[in-house]
Formats: sequence, structure tokens, C-alpha cells
Amino acid sequence: MVQLRSRTARRARLGLSVLLGTIGVVAIVLMAINVARDLRLLNSASSDNVQWTLSQAEVEFLEYELHLERALRDSPPDLTTLRREFDIFYSRVNTLRYSSLYATLRESPAFLDPLGKVQFFLDASVEAIDADDATLTQALPDLLQQARDSRGDVRMLSNAGLNFFAEDSDRRRNNVAVTLTQMAAGVTFLLLALLGLTFYLSYLNSQNIRRRAEVVQASARMKIVMQTALDAVIVSDQDGIILDYNSAAEQIFGHPASHAIGKTLGALIVPDQYLAAHEAGMERMRAGGEKRVVAKGRIKLEAKRANGEIFPVEFAIQSADTDAGEIFIAFLRDISHRVRAEKDLLEARDRALAGEKSKTDFLATMSHEIRTPLNGLLGNLSLLRETRLSARQARYIKNMETSGKLLMSHISDVLDITKYDAGKLRLRPVAMNISALIQDIVDNQSGAASANGTSLKWGWLGPASDWLRSDPDRIQHILMNVVGNAVKFTRDGSVSIEVELIRRDGGNPDLQISVRDTGIGIDAEFQAQIFDDFATGNSAYDRETGGTGLGLGIAQRFVKALGGSIEVESEKGIGSTFRIRFPVEPIAAPDARHQAKIAPDHAEARSVLLVEDNEINRVVAREMLAAAGHRVTEAPNGKLAVDLAQAQRFDLILMDISMPVMDGRSATRAIRAGQGLSAQTPIIAVTANAMAEEQQAFLSDGMNDILTKPLTREALLAVIANHGQPADPPGAKGQPSPAPVARHYIDELRDSLGVAPLQGLLDRFIAEVDQTLTDLGTSPDMAPKDIAARAHRIAGSAATMGAVDLRAGLIAVETAAKTAAKTGDKAAVQAAIAALPAIWAASRPYLRAERREAPRPRDKA
Amino acid sequence: MFRTLIHTAAALALTAAPLWAEDLATPKGTVILTVSGQIAATNAEGAAQFDLEMLEAMEATTVETSTIWTEGTHRFDGVALATLVDRLGITGSTLRALAINDYAVDIPLTDAVENGPIIAYKMDGATMSVRDKGPLWIIYPYDSSAEYRSEVIYSRSIWQLDRIEAIE
Repeated sequence: MVQLRSRTARRARLGLSVLLGTIGVVAIVLMAINVARDLRLLNSASSDNVQWTLSQAEVEFLEYELHLERALRDSPPDLTTLRREFDIFYSRVNTLRYSSLYATLRESPAFLDPLGKVQFFLDASVEAIDADDATLTQALPDLLQQARDSRGDVRMLSNAGLNFFAEDSDRRRNNVAVTLTQMAAGVTFLLLALLGLTFYLSYLNSQNIRRRAEVVQASARMKIVMQTALDAVIVSDQDGIILDYNSAAEQIFGHPASHAIGKTLGALIVPDQYLAAHEAGMERMRAGGEKRVVAKGRIKLEAKRANGEIFPVEFAIQSADTDAGEIFIAFLRDISHRVRAEKDLLEARDRALAGEKSKTDFLATMSHEIRTPLNGLLGNLSLLRETRLSARQARYIKNMETSGKLLMSHISDVLDITKYDAGKLRLRPVAMNISALIQDIVDNQSGAASANGTSLKWGWLGPASDWLRSDPDRIQHILMNVVGNAVKFTRDGSVSIEVELIRRDGGNPDLQISVRDTGIGIDAEFQAQIFDDFATGNSAYDRETGGTGLGLGIAQRFVKALGGSIEVESEKGIGSTFRIRFPVEPIAAPDARHQAKIAPDHAEARSVLLVEDNEINRVVAREMLAAAGHRVTEAPNGKLAVDLAQAQRFDLILMDISMPVMDGRSATRAIRAGQGLSAQTPIIAVTANAMAEEQQAFLSDGMNDILTKPLTREALLAVIANHGQPADPPGAKGQPSPAPVARHYIDELRDSLGVAPLQGLLDRFIAEVDQTLTDLGTSPDMAPKDIAARAHRIAGSAATMGAVDLRAGLIAVETAAKTAAKTGDKAAVQAAIAALPAIWAASRPYLRAERREAPRPRDKA
Repeated sequence: MFRTLIHTAAALALTAAPLWAEDLATPKGTVILTVSGQIAATNAEGAAQFDLEMLEAMEATTVETSTIWTEGTHRFDGVALATLVDRLGITGSTLRALAINDYAVDIPLTDAVENGPIIAYKMDGATMSVRDKGPLWIIYPYDSSAEYRSEVIYSRSIWQLDRIEAIE
């Protein structure tokens, strides 16, 4: 638009200039013609000396008159001369009459009148002049008289002519003066106009020169920019013909510019495999189609060097409209170095990751390898303590146990860090009682606290919320660390633990546990480092108490794994407060029975299958179990364990994982898949390998729980107490499934009968079911009709007791038996009967009169 | 070129003057033109005299032109001034032409060129009387060139011519 307007203005200016120029030239030409005409008039028209001629006429007349007078006086008179003088005057008058010089003069009456009279005089005299000499002599007096009469006319004629020509001369001078003045004015005007035009042209010229210089400079700058650019710059037209090609392009592609310019992009730098696509793209753009690469930012592709090498490039293309059509400017960068560097970097990263993984694997393996012998050591120490010892020996053993446990905890710390850093730390959220957990820790630490003269107490801020779903092992680890530290660094002060459930809008609430002590406090600068690994204070206490410096580092990792945070506020000499906060899921209190820990002392004898290849560990475990009064059957590998489980019914199987012949996981799957007597027996994995995902795998194989090596007496007996009953109801450890017994039937019976009568009823029912199952299982020849009747009767009792699964199983037996009575098909009956023991094993633990502290039904092992 | 010729002719005239003197006839009729001064050929006392017949015998030149003194275009017959200069071996630089009434004008010798002025003795085929600016009238071919239409040329166009003096 602006361009258009300026173009129109330029055209208008040009037109105006041409018009002015034309007018000027025409004016000059016209004036020049005028001047030339005037000059010609001056030169030619006024030619000959007219005044002289006019005065000459009078002179010649007087000459004639003089000769007339002389002729009258002389004798004989000179007639020849007289005639000649007459002729001369006659000729003069003729000139005046006919010459074009006097044409304008003749128009003046002042001239024409005397001319006519003079002519009349001549005509009157001519006859006498032309006559013979005698006649002429005779006529001389008359001729003189006539001449004298005409003298005035001749004078008038002369004067009139002189006056006229004087005026004419004036007029002409005026004309010339006017014309010259006009011309001078015109020339001045033209000169001014030309001057103006000159200035304007000079201005335009200087402007053009400046613009040209600017363009030249810009072009030079562009050329320098292009030539010094590190990227290749290639300019091509719509046909892909290269128009410009900088030195970087020469270096990158190997073609000299002289060779490249004029060639097509396709022939020069496009690899053969992209040639077809390139040509198609160019054709599409020429046809005004979509531009897929132009102005689309950075694009990565491959290009070809002069030596045929294909290499990766990154490029950007822009188009520009020029007078010669659309051109494309491509900036290309050789990224082969970058691509190689990226590849190297990736490889380095992969190597580093692989190294990290092998380190983690090494640590995990080492921890396993260290724990296994340590397990043996601690186990034997524990057995040794049961023997008769002197007081001194007992002290030594206690010291050894302390050192061993410390070593174990260090190994655990290292393993925990390894797992966390490797991203393998998995949480195992279960239903837990946070109050009980904290109470345990307080109980555990209260001895140390009172030894330091420190009071240790805990309590809820706000309403208590005992039951949560979270990972109790991690929480215990965290709190043991933090509370342990507080107790360790406080002398004659107090340590208080405050627990608070902080509700949040949406989502689970946070549990905040604050551990406040009045101990030595922490330096401000050290506060920032206390959660770092191997961070130990430099105090006397620290040296006194020792430590790896990993405790808080692990605590922080665990808190983070729980999705929370841990922070510290401390003042040197005043005390410290650790605030631990993480999200939890509050749940309702589960059935109290499930949580009631059976005291090992009250545990009843169980039959346990111990599967372990390491003889020392096997002996330790066996001795621990035997000391607690359990019966132990040993198997050194998984295969033997499967055979034993097939043939015998055990209350519990302790299964090592890594074993020769058949490992623990395969053995577990085989036992669960089989129809053996121990197919439903709880199986506890015993492993030093504490990786969470592996533990999950164990559970999915059919194992019920996991014991971590080294085995401790407490852990072993606790697991037996929890799982050692035949068919402990599943779900107690977070594997919920519909209860095989609807407990409200029993609750109702208890309410109406009382505890003792209910127990009697239940005992009779249990005995009856046991007997029936034994009869059905050991009498394959029993008639279908009898089987159906037996099943039917027990099913009725089962319904009364709420044993819904057992009732369903018995009804299935009854139905199958009735069908068999008609068809003789006993296979279905046997299958239905075979399913009953497992159902009964699951249902039986529920059939107790009291919810808590009820005497356990005697296991019929 | 012409000037060279003239100079050559002049040089020749000085040496061959007697030869030409015999060639120039003596006028039989009324003398109408007397050429005197620096001339090579004579037929009288230091002069060359011409009657009409002698002039007519010389190579004639015709000029058709208008004049400022007459109406319309006229045909003038006469002897070219160059022819006369040639014939008489005139040297010097100027011809002083005199009229019957003693009007005099100087004509530079350089005017005597081919297609230049003539000494006309006839106008429109008739001899000219004194009343008609005769008997001889120097006529330039005014129409042929603007150079011949200047005031100087008009002043040299002497009529009623009867004498020419070749002067230095």
C-alpha cells in the first residue's frame, strides 16, 4: 500500500517534470523564433539604406533642376546630361513606387500623396525629355517651372519617408526590446526552473547514492555474515537451483561454491534415498501447495557430502519473495558430532546405570552372604545361652549377642540405603496399631532413658486414632532412630513424643509424630547435614555412643518412601524437636482376636516342616522350635519338602528360598497345586533377601508370610503363634476374602446360651465334623445314599453354626451323592469329598465360643 | 581554391599582359563600362572599355531572383563578376564600383565567385534603360542564400553602373 502510494507519487512527479520541461522548451523555442524573426527583420527587411535613398531622391531632383537651369543659361545646352539626370531621378522614384522596401511606407498617405504628385510631375515632363533636342530646348523653361513647382512635393516625400522610418525603427527597436525582455524573463524562469530541477535531481541523486551505498553496505554485511556463519547457508530458487553458497557450506559439504552454484540441491546434497521425497516436495511447493519444511523451525534430516558420506544435519528453511520469484534460504548445521556425543553420553549413562545396578546387586548379595553366617552365629549363641552357664560365660555371651545384633543392624542399614537408592524399597502397608507400636518403642527405650535420668513419655494430641493402614516396619525403624537419638543425647531431662492426626481436605490425613527432647541440641550448621549419610556429630556423647551415621539418613529415606517429610528444630544446649509427618489411612479397629499376639509361653505344640539346605541354620531353627515344644520335621531341599507335604499334614512349613534340587518358590507352588495333606498348610518364607518385590512374588506363589534371616527366637515363635494353627483364616495379614464362617450366628448363640454351653455345643460339632470327614475320606466304598444322608445331617448343623462354606461343601457332596445313586458316577462324589478338608481347615478356627482369650480348640494334629 | 586561381592568373597576367591586350577588342558602340586600375588586359589608356556588344560577347550568366527594389521574381542576364575579373586579369583586393550619378561602393574581390554576383545588362530579356536602373546593374543571387540578403550585399548591388576601379 505504501509502496503503491510512493510509486504513484513518483509517477506524478515525473509527469510534472516532463510537462514543465516541455513547456520550458516550447517557450524557449517560441522566443527563439521571435528573436530570430526580429533579427531577420533587423538584418534583411530594413536592408539598404532607405533613408539614404529617400534623401538621394531629393538630391537627384535638385541635380535635375540644376541641370535645367544650366541648360537654359548655356548655349548650346547640355541636353544629354539633363536627360541622364532626369532618368536617374525617374529611376529613383520608380524604386520608391515599386520596391518592397517601401511597401509599408506607401500605405502612409503622407508618403503616398506626394509620391503621386511627383509621379504626375515626371509623367508630365517625360514627353519633353524624350522629344528631339529642339523641342526639348524649347520646353526647358516649362520643365524648370514644373520642377520648381514639384520641389515641395519631393521634399515632403523625403520627409514623410524619413519620419516613417524613424518611427518604424523605434517600433522595431521596441519590438526587439520587448521580445528580448520576454526572452530574458523566460530564460530566467527556465534557468530558475532548471536550477530547481537541478537541485531536486541532485537531491534525488544524493538520496540514490546514499541508498545505493546503504544497500551495498547491507549487502556486504550480509555477505560477511553469511560467509562467517558457522552454519551452512544455501540459497536456492523454486527449482532448487543453488543461488548462493557460503564458505561453511563448502566445508560441510565439500563442494566448492564455484561448483555448487547453479547446481540443484537434489543433485548436490540430498541423499539418494530422500531424492524422490525432495523432488516431490519441491514440485508441491511450486504448485503452490503445502510447505512442509519451510518456516517449520528446526528439522533433523540427513545430507550427503561430496565424498558420498551421509551425515545427520539440523536445518531450518525460510522463504522470501524477490523480483526473480520465491527463493529459499536454508541454514544447515552438521550435527554428526552432536549425534555422536549424544550416543556416547547415552552409552556412558547406560554403563553407569549398569554399574550402579551391579553395585546394588553386589551389596544385596553381600548382605545375604553376611547375614547367613551371622544368622548361624547368633542362633548358636542363643542356643548356648539355654545351656548351663557360669555368670561370666553368660556375660560374654550377652556381649557377643550385643555385638552381633549391632553388626546385623549395620548390615540392615546398608541394605536399606542400597534398596532405597536403587528404587527397590517397597512399602508393605498393612493394618496396624500405631499406639501399640509407639508404646513398644517407649518400652524399649525407657530403660536407657531412666539410666540417663531422663523421663520418656508419649501421648496423643487430639483424639486418638490407633488403627491405620501403613508400613509398621518402616515406621518402627524411623521412630527407633529418632527416639533412640533423643534418649541417647539427653541427660537428666525429658523426651516426649506427641502424636497427632492432621486432617486434610480431600485425601488421607497426615500423621505427625513430634519427638521433643531437652538434650544437648544441634549446631545450626550441623542441622542441615544431620540427614546426610555418615553424618555424625563431634560430641563426646557421639564418640561414647558410636554409630554409623546412617540412622537419620535411613529415617529420612523411609519417611520419603512413605510420602512424608522429616524436619528438625534445635537449639544448642536447649534441645531438639524432630517432626515426622506422612500420610496414613485410618481404619476401623479389626477383630481383636486377629491382633492378639499369642504369647510364646502359651503356644501349643505344633508340627512344623523345616525346609533349609544350610545345616547350621537348620539346626539352629530346629533347636529353637524344639525348645519351644514344637515337633520338627526337616527337609534339606524343596523336592523332599513337597514329598513330605504330600504325605503328611503339618501345621506350618518354614521354607528357605535358595536351595539346591528345588528352590523354595517352586516347592511352594508344587505343594499348593497338589492335593496333598499339607496343601493348605501355611508356608512361611525364610530369606535373607528382603527385596520387597521378591517378597511380593513369594506371597503370590502361595506363601503366607516372610521371616527375615537371621532367625530370632522371638520372630520365629511369633510367626508360629500367628500362623501355626491349622488353616489360620486368611486375611489376618491383609489378604481379605469372605470369611468361611458367618460369625454373627455364633455371636447370637453366645448371647442366648452363654459362653460355656456354646463351647460344649461347638466341641460336639467339631468332633462330629472331624469324625464325618474321617469316615468319608477313609471309606471309599460307602454307599452314595449313606454319604448323602451323612452330608445332609452335618450341613444342617453347619448352618446353625454359621459355617456357610462347610455347609456349601457338604451340600455339594450330598447333591453329587444323590446323582451318583442314580448314575453310579462316584468320581464327582469323591471330588466333592476331597474338597471338604480344606474348607474345614479354613472354617474351624472361627468356631470358638469367646472372642478373646478363649481356650483354643485342641488341634487334632 | 578560387583565390589560388586568381593569384595564379594574376601572376600569369603580369608576364603575359601584352598577349591579352591584343585579345581585348575595341568598343564600336557607346561605352557603357570602363574598368581601370590594376588590370592586365586593356584596350584604352590604362583601362578596359566595354560596349554592350562586347559584354554580350563574353560568357553570359543568368540569375533568377527577386530583389527588394522590384516587384516579383525577375530574370537577369549578364557577365559574372568572376568572369570579368578572370577576363581582365584583375588583381588587388577591391573593386570600386561607380554609378552614373557617382554613387560609389567597394566590392571585395572575394565576392567574385562562381554563382556569385553578375553585371546584369538585361532584365527579363530586355536591356535596361537608366530609368530602369540600367544600363548595368550588379545583381547578387539574393534568393539563393540568406548571406546575399544582408544590408552590405544590398548596398553593393549598385545600379546605373558605368565604372569599375580595381584597387589595392
